[in-house]
Amino acid sequence: MKQHPLCTDTECGPSVLDFPIPEGLKQEWAAIETRRRFLGRTGKVLGWAALANLLGGRALIGDAHAADTKGAQGLPSGEYLRLPHFAPKAKRAIYLFMSGGPPQIDMLDYKPNLAALYDKDIPDSVRGGQQLTGMTAGQARFPIAPSHWAFKRYGKTGTWVSDLLPYTARMVDDLAIIKSTNTEAINHEPAIMLMNTGNMNAGKPCMGSWLAYGLGSMNDNLPTFMVLQTKVNPKENNQPVSSRLWGSGFLSSEYAGVGLRSGGDPVLYLSDPNGVDREVRRKMLDAVEEINRQTLEELGDPETNARIAQYEMAYRMQASVPELADLSKEPPSTWDLYGSDAKEPGTFAYNCLLARRMAERGVRFTQIYKRGWDVHGDVTGVLPTLCQETDRASYALVTDLKQRGLLDDTLVVWAGEFGRTVYSQGGLTKDNYGRDHHPRCFTTWMTGGGVRTGITYGETDEYSYNVVKDPVTVRDFNATILHCLGIDHNKLAYKFQGLDQKLTGPTPASVVPGLLA
Amino acid sequence: MAVLADRLLPKNKLTRAIWFGSLLMSVALLMLPLLFKLDGRPHTDWEQFLGRFHPLMVHLPIGLIVLVPLLEIAGAFRPALREAAGFVLGLAFVFCLGALTLGYLLAYGSGTVGVVMTRHMWGGIALSIAVLLCVLARPWWSIGAVPRVYPAMLTGLLLLLAWTADQGGSLTHGRNYLTEYMPVSLENIFGGRAVQANAPGSGSFYVKQISPILDANCFVCHGEGKVKGGLRMDSYNLLMKGGKDGLAIVPGSPEKSLLLQRVTLPSSHKQFMPAEGKPPLKPEEIARIKAWVEQGASPIATTVAGISTSNESAELPLQPVADYSSVLSEIQQIDKGQGAKLVQVSSKPSDGLILNTVDVAASFGDAQLAQFQKFAPYIVEAELGRTAVTNASFDALSRFTHLRALHLEGTGVTGDGLAKLAPLSELTYLNLSGTKVTAAAVASIGSMKNLRHVYLYNTPAQPAVAMQTIARNTQ
Repeated sequence: MKQHPLCTDTECGPSVLDFPIPEGLKQEWAAIETRRRFLGRTGKVLGWAALANLLGGRALIGDAHAADTKGAQGLPSGEYLRLPHFAPKAKRAIYLFMSGGPPQIDMLDYKPNLAALYDKDIPDSVRGGQQLTGMTAGQARFPIAPSHWAFKRYGKTGTWVSDLLPYTARMVDDLAIIKSTNTEAINHEPAIMLMNTGNMNAGKPCMGSWLAYGLGSMNDNLPTFMVLQTKVNPKENNQPVSSRLWGSGFLSSEYAGVGLRSGGDPVLYLSDPNGVDREVRRKMLDAVEEINRQTLEELGDPETNARIAQYEMAYRMQASVPELADLSKEPPSTWDLYGSDAKEPGTFAYNCLLARRMAERGVRFTQIYKRGWDVHGDVTGVLPTLCQETDRASYALVTDLKQRGLLDDTLVVWAGEFGRTVYSQGGLTKDNYGRDHHPRCFTTWMTGGGVRTGITYGETDEYSYNVVKDPVTVRDFNATILHCLGIDHNKLAYKFQGLDQKLTGPTPASVVPGLLA
Repeated sequence: MAVLADRLLPKNKLTRAIWFGSLLMSVALLMLPLLFKLDGRPHTDWEQFLGRFHPLMVHLPIGLIVLVPLLEIAGAFRPALREAAGFVLGLAFVFCLGALTLGYLLAYGSGTVGVVMTRHMWGGIALSIAVLLCVLARPWWSIGAVPRVYPAMLTGLLLLLAWTADQGGSLTHGRNYLTEYMPVSLENIFGGRAVQANAPGSGSFYVKQISPILDANCFVCHGEGKVKGGLRMDSYNLLMKGGKDGLAIVPGSPEKSLLLQRVTLPSSHKQFMPAEGKPPLKPEEIARIKAWVEQGASPIATTVAGISTSNESAELPLQPVADYSSVLSEIQQIDKGQGAKLVQVSSKPSDGLILNTVDVAASFGDAQLAQFQKFAPYIVEAELGRTAVTNASFDALSRFTHLRALHLEGTGVTGDGLAKLAPLSELTYLNLSGTKVTAAAVASIGSMKNLRHVYLYNTPAQPAVAMQTIARNTQ
């Protein structure tokens, strides 16, 4: 066996006799290690080997190895998987993730009749014995809290929009507003996992990873899947978001999202330290790659391939990321559109601007996380800030993509992990209220490539509690997103642990035709 | 002559009996459709149950029949094989009768009729008789009395077998099952598929939205080839005529229309359609049919309220391009040398390629573009944004006649020569944002009728033409 360059140890396997175990056990071991035993054991091993062969190599290690060795030969994964399945309307997507659960009743799901029901209890028949969260399950009553804000009609479509969203109101004719999105999870972590990975349990690849795996990169100098975090506003109720939301699960870690930091260097340690020029860096990476290739040859772990690819990507990003994040050449019209917030790294507006620049540069999937929507209390105090931080920037992003001709083949999605209750959490006053998690309906929107715009899809009942028309489950929602990108959600599968794993899971999901152009 | 007749005609009683029996059996087989008329009505479950073993059973005689000529040929070298051939032929006949019986039970029991069905039936009967004749003719051949008849019959038998099997396959899988995924190159050789002509009403909602759904899900059993339950759906008139159970479509009343009733039953229901484990209709397809029936089920109406098809009619449908599979190695070569890539639009080669230059944008100029000209027949989209191409490239670009989208944003083009793009009749998208292109230059391509999305953000031409673009988009 070849000596590993980093390994100073001998390559001999350890013997039982060297272990610090009682001498008696060692003798027993030596006694039973007879020829008969050896032959008997060998027979069994041969049996297992035959079985493994019968099952096919993939039965034991999954598809990972097969796909990745293929990838190493330079075939883009898209070609290997024969994707896209059909000509896509959108080549890339930008996903604005409103973590925490935006209150649909105060923003886009207009319920004029609620005003008359102020402080009345929500009928039991509407709740239908639903199990609530521990935060409100103990409440003696569930008083209806009508929205504090007035709604007006906008656009040619006459869509009702809350006064909180003056900019979103300007683009309603360009949106497909989905009022009937609904989920099965009632708490943040499972709900946000379900939205992003199609499964409430951690460990599955997220949507961006599926897309990176299935469609591959359009720009070799930037990651296929990028994640932008918005700086936390401490006045808001921020739920944590963790890197498993953009993790690649059982797919190669090459397909995991690459996060840009909200301040300072967008990528830590990306710039070369003083005295290290690009040539030295190149030499170092070449040496590391050589070592990694030896490791790969010996151990055959596909993750080594991923590591090699990531080093190379980081090297290319040393040149591409500073260019991406350099906003000095943006025309003044950019700042008129996005507002001066966009000049400050880490704001939602800045991230939206970066997302547009990534779209121009061929990043396949960009996800922006904005936390703080978990308004259990003080809705009237916090919600205006949240809307002010996101409303204009979302509008600016869509408008900017549109005027630059990018919206034709870019899908933009705006969604949280669930909605919020019509009844107040905690005390209800004329001026303030709180809203608890609500999985049975929440409002999301999409626009861009492949989406039928200028529509409102689905309806909720008069309490914005249950969906009464055209429900869109999380699975359907994700299937529809994949469809816009030319992917049949049933076919983008990966054999792992004996199951054809899919973003939409084993439960049947269907593309929502009413949302498609 | 007399000598030949003496040799050929059966001499002993047994052989004579065999000949007589064979004659009787052939007549009986030919009479079968007259004795048990296929009346299009389903009969007992037992018949259907047994009948469904037909597709299973039928492959046994097929295998045996194909084996016979192989044995005869191989017998020239190993005589023992030729001895076996006679036995195999006889066995084939026995199984032929079995398969024929089951097939007839299937058709009779399920009440299936139709042109293809009838052809398949007669094919099966003719095949059985042909095998029988081969059995009878073989002894002449093996003793050398008549050398040519048997080989000729065997050849004919194989041809008949292929034809009958093809009819049977069409019944089970639908007519274009074999050719559906034929590569474009082969399709050109074989003349391709029939394309819907511009018949009257060809733009109607029925033709564009309803008929394709029925085609994909129903025609196999309710079409020209096979008519189950007396219902044919392959033309508007036949669909409206209904079947043995009643009207499939009752204009204005979806709830009375049997078609909608059957497709919305629980999938385990006996009368659920599409039957036999075929995939159920999608909710959106049902919604489309329902809306169409509700609003009168007209054959000519082009719109149905609540179902939007506006985009489909406004946009130029994707035009297939030539199959690039044959030049794949050249494509890989140029990708490697250039850094610019040709990326497939989808897994279907006829969707074409995208020229992607983002990795080498700064160094990609007119000369580099010219090198891709030979792939122009396959390129439907050119992403030249922020590259170094100039006005000089309009000449080359005019030869990319399959372009649907052209990105020139952020390049040095000023629009001089933009009019050369006029031959690009499929171009729907042109992005000139951030260039120095002038309003006059843009006006020069104003007559391109499919060009619906022109982007002029941040150009001297912006204010004047933006209005026009918006007007076009809202048409």
